[in-house]
Amino acid sequence: MCAQPTRDGPVLETEVLIVGGGVTGTGVMRDLALRGIHCLLIDRRDLNAGASGGNHGLLHSGGRYAATDPDTAAECRREADILKKVAPECIDACGGLFVAVEGDDAEFAARFPDYCDAAGIECAAITPAEARELEPCLSEKVFAAFTVQDATVDPFRITLENVNHARQLTQSIFLAHTALERFIIDGRTIRGAICRDTRTGEAMTVRARQVVNAAGAWAMAVARLAGCSGVNLLYSKGTLIISNARIGRRVINRLRPPGDGDILVPGGTVSLLGTTSQTLQNIEDSHPTVAEVDRLVAEGVAMVPQIAHTRFIRAFSGVRPLLLAAGANADGRKASRGFTLFDHESEGLANFATVAGGKLTTFRLMAEKTGDLVAQRLGNRQPCKTGTAPLPSGDALRWTEPGFAARYWVARRAPRDLILCECEMVPASAIDAIVENAPGAELQMSLNAIAVRSRVGKGSCQGAFCSLRVTSHLYERQVYDSRVGLRNTRDFVAQRFKGVAPVAWGEHLPQLELAEALHCALLGLDQLQDDDAHPASREVPAA
Amino acid sequence: MSTTSETVTRTIDFKSAARDLLPAGASYDACLSCGLCSAGCPASGLEGMDPRRFIRMAMLDMNEELSTTAWIWTCTQCQRCKYVCPMSIDVSVLVGLARGAWPTEKKPRGIVRSCEAQLRFPGTSAMGLQEEDFVDAVQEVVASVRAQGDRFARLDAPIDRQGAHFFVNQNSREPATEPEEMGPLWKIFDYVGADWTYSSTGWAAENFCMFTGDDQSWRKMIEQRVDAVNRLGCKVWLNTECGHSFYTLWKGVERFGLKADFEPDSLVRYYARWIREGRLPVNAEWNTQGIKFTVQDPCQLVRKSLGDSMADDIRFVARALVGDANFIDMAPSRSANYCCGGGGGFLQAGMKELRYAYGKRKFDQITTTRADYVLTPCHNCHSQIEDLGRHFHGGYRVVHFWTLICLSLGILGENERKYLGPDLARLGL
Repeated sequence: MCAQPTRDGPVLETEVLIVGGGVTGTGVMRDLALRGIHCLLIDRRDLNAGASGGNHGLLHSGGRYAATDPDTAAECRREADILKKVAPECIDACGGLFVAVEGDDAEFAARFPDYCDAAGIECAAITPAEARELEPCLSEKVFAAFTVQDATVDPFRITLENVNHARQLTQSIFLAHTALERFIIDGRTIRGAICRDTRTGEAMTVRARQVVNAAGAWAMAVARLAGCSGVNLLYSKGTLIISNARIGRRVINRLRPPGDGDILVPGGTVSLLGTTSQTLQNIEDSHPTVAEVDRLVAEGVAMVPQIAHTRFIRAFSGVRPLLLAAGANADGRKASRGFTLFDHESEGLANFATVAGGKLTTFRLMAEKTGDLVAQRLGNRQPCKTGTAPLPSGDALRWTEPGFAARYWVARRAPRDLILCECEMVPASAIDAIVENAPGAELQMSLNAIAVRSRVGKGSCQGAFCSLRVTSHLYERQVYDSRVGLRNTRDFVAQRFKGVAPVAWGEHLPQLELAEALHCALLGLDQLQDDDAHPASREVPAA
Repeated sequence: MSTTSETVTRTIDFKSAARDLLPAGASYDACLSCGLCSAGCPASGLEGMDPRRFIRMAMLDMNEELSTTAWIWTCTQCQRCKYVCPMSIDVSVLVGLARGAWPTEKKPRGIVRSCEAQLRFPGTSAMGLQEEDFVDAVQEVVASVRAQGDRFARLDAPIDRQGAHFFVNQNSREPATEPEEMGPLWKIFDYVGADWTYSSTGWAAENFCMFTGDDQSWRKMIEQRVDAVNRLGCKVWLNTECGHSFYTLWKGVERFGLKADFEPDSLVRYYARWIREGRLPVNAEWNTQGIKFTVQDPCQLVRKSLGDSMADDIRFVARALVGDANFIDMAPSRSANYCCGGGGGFLQAGMKELRYAYGKRKFDQITTTRADYVLTPCHNCHSQIEDLGRHFHGGYRVVHFWTLICLSLGILGENERKYLGPDLARLGL
């Protein structure tokens, strides 16, 4: 695959260059690999570093958009059914409830079954008492309730499985911390792309026959690098908070037009309360704030009173890349959740495509449409197979599922397999599998990268202890040497801190104080200098 | 005690049980994952479990695994985890709950049998001693002590004496297997002129029902004993040199909201008081050989109930008896002391190798002091530490306080020296 190095570094050749390692980009990669096509996927940071990692993992029944966006709602329903069949290991078919509480619009609640009916969404009315029996955490002020087929999906696992499957099928490659700098354009054709490894600072050239822009919130910027101005996105920041333990079995939705703090989604062993919506000008400016957390809690309490005294361990934000049609209302909540595939032919390019907008639930469909276009352009007549082909799992891919590591360790009865992350009970063997073979595994793999591929740092200590234990383990295994591991620890805990700071009250505050004492007072990580020849990676994973 | 024939372990929702049973701010939700609990828990690593893991597994909804792990029978519910926890989280409460959810036939037989025995007769003895057995044993020993000489010609061990100040309970081990060991205790009462009585009902100290996790039989046991003390109108329920028997009544009265017209107290506190008041003029002059002693703080008497003031009294008595220079404390000790591994029913549970593995930490602590004797006012500590010494070839001996008190006062009979070594076998005779 490597041709002679040029002025712009080594040359990598592939059939399709995909920009953006989110669920869509990796979905396209797998879709194409299933048609026998080799892909090179690059991401400036890492897998799921944008909205694919910064969401609540809801596999929509469609109920959420039944009233406002029936087309998206119906699409969600169809796609959710497919994913439940092809990737059951990534999905918790927990079901969902829509509940209206005192003060909510009773007419809207009454019309809900009709909205669902119109979008073909299964929904059944139950009494408030029945709802509270299903979910004892619900408020006594619930006056209307409906069950829907909501489920949750592990977006990290599905991404890892996409990349891994593409690797198995066509030796397709994923490169993390590889930023696109410019395209080499020759008439109507993109001949290649100049990229840079943000970790080593080295440039490289990618030669590809087709280029797919699946950069999510950054898709507009990537399209502009190709001289295309037709992709217009609205950035909507959404903030969520994560509880220390799971609250309720099902997805609990507030039965009202979408608003802040109206959904509580189980994430395996935790729950996620979301979501705010705030239009952003600068997409890099997307940290969660205390004000957003306060709003989520205040709203969430109406549905589930115990939220008032629930320990939340982390806040995180994602940026929704919403398609902005010409003259559309610039309100993130009201913008379409649909997606668009741009072939850019009217903008003078014949081998460039951008897929933008959409939702986690519909990523497969987005990948299918993109794959169809790219395959046809390449003269490949293979049909899309992602609607039926099961998504294979693997040893290095299963550690993102909350609670899996703990159940695995207990069932395996191998006490010598030392647990490194005690909160999530991640054993050393999991870290070893990830460092050796997970998609994106590389020399001196960073703690942040390991965390994207596991539950390390995601428990109540938020990295206070596991950061040190995993680092020590990797030094012992000679994965790290010199100060690389220490800097990785620092970068990891700094990343964790951003999410902990906005929820630092009550039972979680002592945790933060303890972490600070460990990391700063004891280890002096805050004093560590970046003076090595190989600076530690700085990828910023989503929560 | 459940008499149903259920064989399936009931699955508990540990996370919500923790919220219900533990104080706000000290529930499993408050865990910092710091591991101080696990680092200081002698049961850490047994059955792949430790206190922090127990908490985390509860938070991860691993209820089936927690409901079935045998670790709950190796945790002695000593509450050291709670003591060192910065958030004061008590793991032992849910261990007790988990024990209670096991079907009776799957629980360790030894614990269940002891509890069943206690429920059989009004004496509440775990060794199945009936009223007349107890009374006979007491009367025989009274006769034999009186025969030791004029000094004890008027010694008495009254039973069911209405209105006595002290209601003294009795661990079944002495009347059942080594009745002569009751003599030294009575000599002490005689020496200080204590106004005391035994009772023919509710006299036994031990309570294995508490260790089965079955709250109802724990309650039943304590009700019988509280009734017996109330009936005799005693002011103080004086607990013998035994740990869990104090805790089970002291805690049980509060837990079950029972009406007790008396104060529960520990014999060791009275030893200390009588020594301070000059009524028990012990000294260490007998210890001319510089024999070294250490003490084992019973978790149930110190950390779990009376606290460090109890540990102070234990040391005050020990130092008075053996001499300051001959007393060597273990580290850590007092409320931070490690459980020996004999508590929580572990001694009766039949899990010998696990019990030794647990007790190794205590054994190492003891041998580090190089003491010749371990003094401990607890029968479970006594048995476990002796057994650890045999198993790991420790070379130390374990003694009751009453033995040394009588030795120091020069009133210890020849047949009351079972736990003394050759160095002291003839001293003062």
